[in-house]
Amino acid sequence: MALTEERPEILELESGDTSASTGAFARPTNATGWRAWVFTVDHKKIGIMYGVVAMFWFLWGGVEALLIRAQLFTPNGTVLTAEQYNQIFTMHGTTMVFLVIMPLAAAFANYIVPLQIGARDVAFPRMNALGLWVFVFGGIFLNLSWFLGGGPDGGWFAYAPNTGVTFSPGAGMDFYALGLQIAGIASLVGAINLIVTIINMRAPGMTMLRMPVFTWMILVVQFLLLFALPVITVALILLSFDRTFDANFFNVSMGADPLLWQHLFWIFGHPEVYILILPSFGIVSETLPVFSRKPLFGYSVIVISGAAIGFMGWGVWAHHMFVSGLGPVGVAAFSATTMFIAVPTGVKILNWIATMWGGNLKFTVPMMFSVSLVSMFTIGGLSGVMHSVAPADTQQTDTYFIVAHFHYVLFGGALMGLFAGMYYWWPKAFGYKLGESLGKWHFWLLLAGFNMTFGPMHILGLQGMARRHSRYGPEDGFDFWNAVVSIGAFIILIGMIVFAVNIVRSWLGYKAGTVPQEPADPWDGRTLEWAIPSPTPEHNFDYVPVVTDVDDFWHKKYQPDANGKLRKIADGNAIAQKGDQHPHLPSPSYWPIVLAAALPLIALGLIYNLWITGIGLVLLLGAMYGWSLEPATDPDAGHDGHGDDHGDDHGPDNHDPDGSNEAESVTAEEAPVD
Amino acid sequence: MNAKKSTSNKTPRGSMKRSVFNIPRILRHVPLILLTAFLTSCATGRIDPTDPVGENAKQIDGIMRLSGYMATAVGIFVAIAVVVVIVKFRAKPDDDPDELPKQIHGNRKAELTWTVIPVLLLVFLAVVTIPAVFDLSSKSDGRTIQVEGQQWWWQFSYDVDEDGIHDIVTANEIVIPVGEEINLDIRSNDVIHSFWVPQLNGKKDAVPGRVHQWRISSPVPGIFYGECVEFCGLSHANMQMRAVVLEQDDYDAWIQEQLTAATIPTDPAAKRGYDLFGRHCVSCHVVNGVYESAGNGNANLTSGYAPNLTHLMTRTSFAGSIFDMYKDDGSVNIADLREWVRNAPENKPSRPDNRQGMISFAETLSNSELDDLVTYLLTLGGPPPLMPS
Repeated sequence: MALTEERPEILELESGDTSASTGAFARPTNATGWRAWVFTVDHKKIGIMYGVVAMFWFLWGGVEALLIRAQLFTPNGTVLTAEQYNQIFTMHGTTMVFLVIMPLAAAFANYIVPLQIGARDVAFPRMNALGLWVFVFGGIFLNLSWFLGGGPDGGWFAYAPNTGVTFSPGAGMDFYALGLQIAGIASLVGAINLIVTIINMRAPGMTMLRMPVFTWMILVVQFLLLFALPVITVALILLSFDRTFDANFFNVSMGADPLLWQHLFWIFGHPEVYILILPSFGIVSETLPVFSRKPLFGYSVIVISGAAIGFMGWGVWAHHMFVSGLGPVGVAAFSATTMFIAVPTGVKILNWIATMWGGNLKFTVPMMFSVSLVSMFTIGGLSGVMHSVAPADTQQTDTYFIVAHFHYVLFGGALMGLFAGMYYWWPKAFGYKLGESLGKWHFWLLLAGFNMTFGPMHILGLQGMARRHSRYGPEDGFDFWNAVVSIGAFIILIGMIVFAVNIVRSWLGYKAGTVPQEPADPWDGRTLEWAIPSPTPEHNFDYVPVVTDVDDFWHKKYQPDANGKLRKIADGNAIAQKGDQHPHLPSPSYWPIVLAAALPLIALGLIYNLWITGIGLVLLLGAMYGWSLEPATDPDAGHDGHGDDHGDDHGPDNHDPDGSNEAESVTAEEAPVD
Repeated sequence: MNAKKSTSNKTPRGSMKRSVFNIPRILRHVPLILLTAFLTSCATGRIDPTDPVGENAKQIDGIMRLSGYMATAVGIFVAIAVVVVIVKFRAKPDDDPDELPKQIHGNRKAELTWTVIPVLLLVFLAVVTIPAVFDLSSKSDGRTIQVEGQQWWWQFSYDVDEDGIHDIVTANEIVIPVGEEINLDIRSNDVIHSFWVPQLNGKKDAVPGRVHQWRISSPVPGIFYGECVEFCGLSHANMQMRAVVLEQDDYDAWIQEQLTAATIPTDPAAKRGYDLFGRHCVSCHVVNGVYESAGNGNANLTSGYAPNLTHLMTRTSFAGSIFDMYKDDGSVNIADLREWVRNAPENKPSRPDNRQGMISFAETLSNSELDDLVTYLLTLGGPPPLMPS
């Protein structure tokens, strides 16, 4: 009963006379239908949309991967021409990095972080929506190239001078350079927003070292983004200027050194690797304790090693350039730093195993994906140490050994963790769990297909099969393992089809009532997101929780008895908040999507006709104008429940008869998107 | 539709049309492909880093094995720990749901241990690695050969009398004497390439505007295969090379032969071919002594270079080393050579309209003209000092 005493007074947002605001434009008021999604500023809807769009690109990036594997199934494959092959491997990498893993992490960061820190929303809700729509338009813009003369053909790494107009005369690389600048804006906007949110909006009592590890890792990642994105932006602007305005930044005959591009790209590119993997490290740091029923082993060590990886990640970029002519001093230095970044990473792995050690392990689907991250990422990490041995890397680099390595890191690590997160937080987002048995099929097919696809690539790499070759000869001896790899890729496809079936079946079952509604705390969770109903009510928290410990919610359920033995003193679902309060929330806005839509127009104009850029700029300025002149909130906004119980003083209470803020109807809105 | 059933147990290479819709047909052959491929995969490929021959490659192989064994040992340790955890600490159906496992928040000593042990392992690895880095990047006192990468072939230049002028310019095949540590000055004439003959040494990028120093050597004569391994555009997959290692006497003879200039042929067909060459080929290609107008840096190609053909027939391959010049029985592979001259872009992805690669002569030359031209090419030196086994 001590619990209710710890509940603070009801959260009140600023209740100044916002209705008197005299903006030139009204704000949208729709609480249902497509407008409720397109104009939303709700971090949860934005998070879900990030996820949906990222999964769409995952499908497309997967199709690209399968085309690559179809081409390499046999020697001298003729499924693709060399030109198509180069475009497709370029866009496979670009898509998977920028349009799949980064936004999937953004999806979780948006949805989960405010819940884990006890906040109603992110610090800048409209900026959050802007980030989403800029990402959406950036992805569309990048892929427009397929319909306008062919995709980018210079590799995702776009090494100069091969990406200059002389050697890549089509518009593909323009789409790459401009598209990634647009996508970068999305990540930058999101990074600033999440940093401010995490630093300023934590619940009372949640010190930095009481923060959930997922939130910690997201914070580290946002700082990495904040510092890494400007570097790639500079590089991309130089490339765009070279291509569009005949600048000479990478023109060797005018005295340029093309290694400038490589340094800029990898100073971004290596922190980028940690940007991709750390969110998943955060996810399994949440799931492993929950399903082991033990606290995280060495919370502070895991947090500090995560931050250490973030720092050290800035000092290893040139290991991508061991054969590009750095000179022995540079090679030796970066060889050593690369070796030692393995230390904090290894500490994490062993702490996760120690977390499970002695536990009471429940092998739910999220747990299976989490354990597979621990083991598969370890393989990728160890082959990474092999590359850090620079002389060995002169044999390994640009072979399939590297392809195997980073797929073990990014598929076996990042993606496995993201799937763990999907199964783990699905009930929190949608109110029901994804099917357990189809989930296990998904897991085993994915694990088997993944190892069959990327395991043999180690052998192919050691045999000397080079990356980015559109064909290999029958005399090369690569036939057998390439056939195995290609079959493995199709097993991954089957696994992903099972996943899609699982989503549809679980949703239909939930609608029909055969899949049960989950309570607030279905997994016996440890962090604050489990202290509120499932699915999350629109306002997240009725009351701002007061935090006294790491894993605060768990400590509200388990306390030592007189003998010091831990006893369950409360049921999580019983002590969870009810979600029945109706605090005032920020109103939706038209302007984020309008502003975002201006960016691809500006970029298209730079490729084709500056008049289009002009139209885009007018739209951009108009949207900025509308953004700043729009009233801070709309007195008639769709947040029906201006609760009379907490002194919200503007306008009459206009409870909708259908009560669209109730948990059930939120589900009805959210469910259709998957 | 291309639905006829194939009874061949070979991989369906070449029988496939350019369509993704043929994938299901390939899938029907999966078992046979796997069987055939497994049997053939027992034979090692031509590119084979696992069988180092040169001193440098052997040194690298040793370090690589060391790091591989260490990684494997650590991997096995982690794998055992994960398996033990999965088996031993799995929740049992009869577990008391209210009974919590022991709540351990950490253990300073354990964490310190598994921080220090990796540090020690990595210090050891660094101590082995760093001297090797300096060792492998040092220059030898042997002769220097210039290597130039361009889309999509390699050029090798020799300064025999060491007067600063290259006396021999050849393509696709670097010829070196046995046992000597050869210095390479690696350059590029267009985009970034990477020089790699894995049995002799690791890779080194060819970066335009820079000269990169690298070494190769072999204690035994033979032909070693290599290729470009930095993505260099459209035909990156078709930029191969060979390192031909000769006994000292053979090498000296090869040098003397390469120093000889070509002469005008007397055979009528070859003479007609010679004239055709003068009309169609000399704006890009050089034949020492007779056609030297193209020179280096000619404007017809982005890179400014086309292979020097003076001693074409002393090479065992052509077109970026993707075609064998001679068949197994030692006769010239005239069919492929003729086809290559007739329509290069069809035989190797290239973009001659953007000055990247050789143009097609399919519309320009008649069949008899092609025959004459090939007849002329056959007079350009040869045979090679060493044939591929």
